This record gives sequence, C-alpha cells and structure tokens, in this order.
Amino acid sequence: MAAHDEQIIADLGLRRESARSLYDYPNVIRALSVLCFLIAWEIYGRRVDPLLLTYPTAVVQAAFALITSGELRRQMADSLTTLALGFGASVILGVGLGLVMGRSRIASAALEPHINALYATPQVALTPLLMMWFGLGFTVKAVVIFLFAFFPILINTASGVRNVSASTIEVGRAYLASRTQILFKVVFPAAVPFIMAGIRVAIGRAIVGMVVAELFTAITGLGAMLTLYGNLFETAKMFVVVIVLGVLGVVLVRATQALERRMARWKETERAS
Amino acid sequence: MALSTLEQQALAELDLVRQKPFRLVDHLGLVRWVSVFGAILLWEVFGRDVNPLFLSYPSAIARAAVQLVGAGQFTQQALNSLQVYFIGLAGALVVGIVLGLLMGRYRLAEYILDPFVYALDATPRVALIPILLLWFGLGAPAKIAVVFLSGVFPVLMNTFSGVRTVSSGLVEVGRAYGAGEGKIFTKIIMPASLPFIMAGVRLAVGRALIGIITAEMFAAVTGLGALLVRYSSALATDKFFVPVIFLALLGVILTRAVEYLEKRFAPWKETERAL
Repeated sequence: MAAHDEQIIADLGLRRESARSLYDYPNVIRALSVLCFLIAWEIYGRRVDPLLLTYPTAVVQAAFALITSGELRRQMADSLTTLALGFGASVILGVGLGLVMGRSRIASAALEPHINALYATPQVALTPLLMMWFGLGFTVKAVVIFLFAFFPILINTASGVRNVSASTIEVGRAYLASRTQILFKVVFPAAVPFIMAGIRVAIGRAIVGMVVAELFTAITGLGAMLTLYGNLFETAKMFVVVIVLGVLGVVLVRATQALERRMARWKETERAS
Repeated sequence: MALSTLEQQALAELDLVRQKPFRLVDHLGLVRWVSVFGAILLWEVFGRDVNPLFLSYPSAIARAAVQLVGAGQFTQQALNSLQVYFIGLAGALVVGIVLGLLMGRYRLAEYILDPFVYALDATPRVALIPILLLWFGLGAPAKIAVVFLSGVFPVLMNTFSGVRTVSSGLVEVGRAYGAGEGKIFTKIIMPASLPFIMAGVRLAVGRALIGIITAEMFAAVTGLGALLVRYSSALATDKFFVPVIFLALLGVILTRAVEYLEKRFAPWKETERAL
C-alpha cells in the first residue's frame, strides 16, 4: 500500500518535473537570443567592409579607446549640461505657464491657439532657423531642447490643473485659504501626477532634441561625435555613441518613472474621484 | 393676485442684476480670435522692421507660399516626402502589428525578441540617422528606413500590450467553439487589441514625421527637410516658413485622421479597458 502510494507520488513528481518547460527560464532564452545575434554579427561583420559595418569586438575596442582618451566623458558632460539647462528651463516655464493656463480660462483661450500651433509644428523643422538666430553654440542647443520638452509639460500641467476637483478647492475656500494658498497647497499637489507624466514624456523628447541639435551644429556633444565619426567612416565609434545614447535614454526615463512613483503615489485614487 | 408695485420693483432689479456687466470669461471665442489676429498683426508690424534675413513677416510668407506653389518646386518636394513617408509608415504598421501579435501571443517569440525591441526602442532613433545614411545612401531607401524605425516601435509596443490584455476568457470561449489558431487571431485577438493598435498608430504618425524631416535635413538632397536647409542657408526666411507651416498642417491633419479612424474602428475602447 505504502509502496503504491510512493509510486504514485513519484509519478506525480515526475509529471511535475516534465511540466517544467523552457518558458520558466525566460532569461535563458533572452540571453541565448542576444548571444546568437552577437555571434552572427561578429562573424558576418568581419567579412563586410569595415567602413560600412563593424562587429561587436571592434565596438568594445572603440569604446575602450574613447573612454581612456577621455573624449567620451568630455562630450557626455557637455551634452548633459545642455540637457540639464534646457530641460530645467522647460520644467519651470512649462509648469508655471501650465498653472496659469489651467486656472485662468482667459489666459487659456488667449494662449491655446499659439501653443497648439507650435506643438503641432515638428520642432525639428525649426532647428535651422534657431541656428540662424542663436548661432552654433551652447545657446541654440539649450533652446532646441527647451522647445522639444516644453509642450508636453505645459499641456499636461494645464489639464492636471483643470482636473482638480472643484470640491477640493471649495474646501480650501471654506477654510479661508487665500488664492496663492489654494494654488500652492491645493491645486499644485493635486496636479503633480499629471505634471510628472508630462515630465516623463518630455525627457525622452529632450534627448531627441539634444541629439538633433548636436547633429546639425556638429561642434560639441554626443550628436557631434556621431556626425564626426560618420564623416570619417569610423563605424565602430558611431556605434559606441549610439549605445551610450540608448543607455542614457533608459536611465533618464527610469529615473523619472521612479520619481513619478515617489511623488505621485495617490495617482490612481485621485483619478477615480 | 396682481403683483404689488414693490414686487415689480424687486423683479426689475433682479433683471437688472441678471444683465451682467461685460465679463471676458463669457467671450472666450472673442479672446481667442483677438489673440490670434493680434499676434499676426504684431508679427507683421514688428517683422517688417527686423532684418528680413532673420525674421520674415506674414504677408511676405504668404507671397513666398504662392510663388513656391506656383513654381511647382514645392509641390514636387512635398510629394517626394509624402511618398517616402507613406511607404515607410506602411512598412512600420505591417511589421509592428505582426511582430506585436506574435510577441503578445507566443512567449517564445516574446523572450527571443524583447531584448532587441527594448534596446532599440530606448535608443533615440535620430541617433541612427547618420548610420542609416551610411548604409543606404542619401536617397529614398535611407529615408524609408528612418521612417520605418521611427514608426515601428510605438505600433509594436502597443500591439504587444494590447494582445496581452485580451482576456483569456474570450480566447477560451473561442476555443470551446472549436476556433482554430488562425480564427482566434483574426476574430478575437485582432479586434480586441485594435484600440491599443490604433493608439500606437497615432504615436507612430507623429514620430515618423519627425524622423523623415530630420533625415531629409541631414541628407539635404530631396524632400521638405532639404528645402528647409536650402532656404535657411540661403537666408530666405520667408520661403523657410512655407514648409514649416505645411508640416505643421500635415501633422495636425494626420493626427486628426488617425483619431477619426480610432473612433470609427475602436469605439469600445473605454469599456474594453475596464476589463
């Protein structure tokens, strides 16, 4: 009897064992997939003209060369300074103007046509004009980044402010809060989830703006490295820059997502009301 | 009971009160028009005083637009851009939807492809433009590749998450009625994830437009982006604004068109999301 039971348990165990499939190890499949791709690239890439396509080991070598010479660090610092300045300005102005537009229907009606028109214009198209106005230096890059990032923040802030429930504001009034107190203690905190969502969209666009501005001005920054090495046909170094930009994008978007979660924890409940 | 004079007096006063004094809030449409015309007027007056190399003014832009369209050059470049744009976008839609469906339905496909999809999606696509120009030359193939890469990821990611949210109950009902895998795809999964797919298409339309302009500006040979570079290098600011305005209108029209399609094909979006 007991032996029979054991048998059954063993059978069950066996069956459970066999039910474990490859799908339980998704990371193994992912790693294999990436590895196969890299090996295929390495083999194929070595056969192709190095002016056109490079291969992974060459990219790694190029990365070392760019890091040890300090060039990558210098250009990255340059790009990030511009990004911080342009993005910072767009956050401050976007949130400020968004608050005004959300609270005042007159301001909103007066500004909305212009904002919508500018937002609809692909900002890339304005870069040549901006280069004419601001030259090729730091200023034009900061302005392009600003223009790319400004509108999502502005539009989200304004709609966040409009979404603040009237009863919250009335409670504030009932407790005799002044207009500024209502703005900063009631409206602003309630709109934070929307503002953060706008900032998350804006950071991705700001990076695009940074690359575009640097590609065209082609003097300093990561985008300029792309243009430079593209003209020199140093494909391996171009890939290094592309990978750095990809990592930068992921890190910055993740950082804003983490900030969003921290600052806007009540998002879901707020939206339900 | 006739109203006493006192009551009539009170009513008249109330009516007077109801006839509110002029308030700006009641005339928002007026504010809007005044703002737009005021801005155009200011631009016209102010723009004429500025060096025309740096800033143009509305009437000069209108004149330039008539001239450019009349010469046929603008139309030709615009058609060139649009052709490339739609070919690239169509490719992005087909590949994005197919890969998204596969990745959403089959875990093996998901695990094999998602490292690449996430990596490429995170990379700013504009950064790939110099490489793509190196590979495909300065002509149409490079631009199609840029439009494709700009548009494919929003569609793919949205289709993927759309398929993932299709309730398994729907699929099981399909199975219970003996539907094959093909039927389940076309009759259940596709329609159920359509709202997501359309949202992805809406994103893709805008991004692809940015992609093609950047590529054309960088290659500077054909298309509207090349016109932008040419006119700005020639310091013909009035002509420069013509493609800019055209592109803005194009962006609005395309987005509106997709929104219209979205409403037509996927009106059940809101209820579906509640699942």
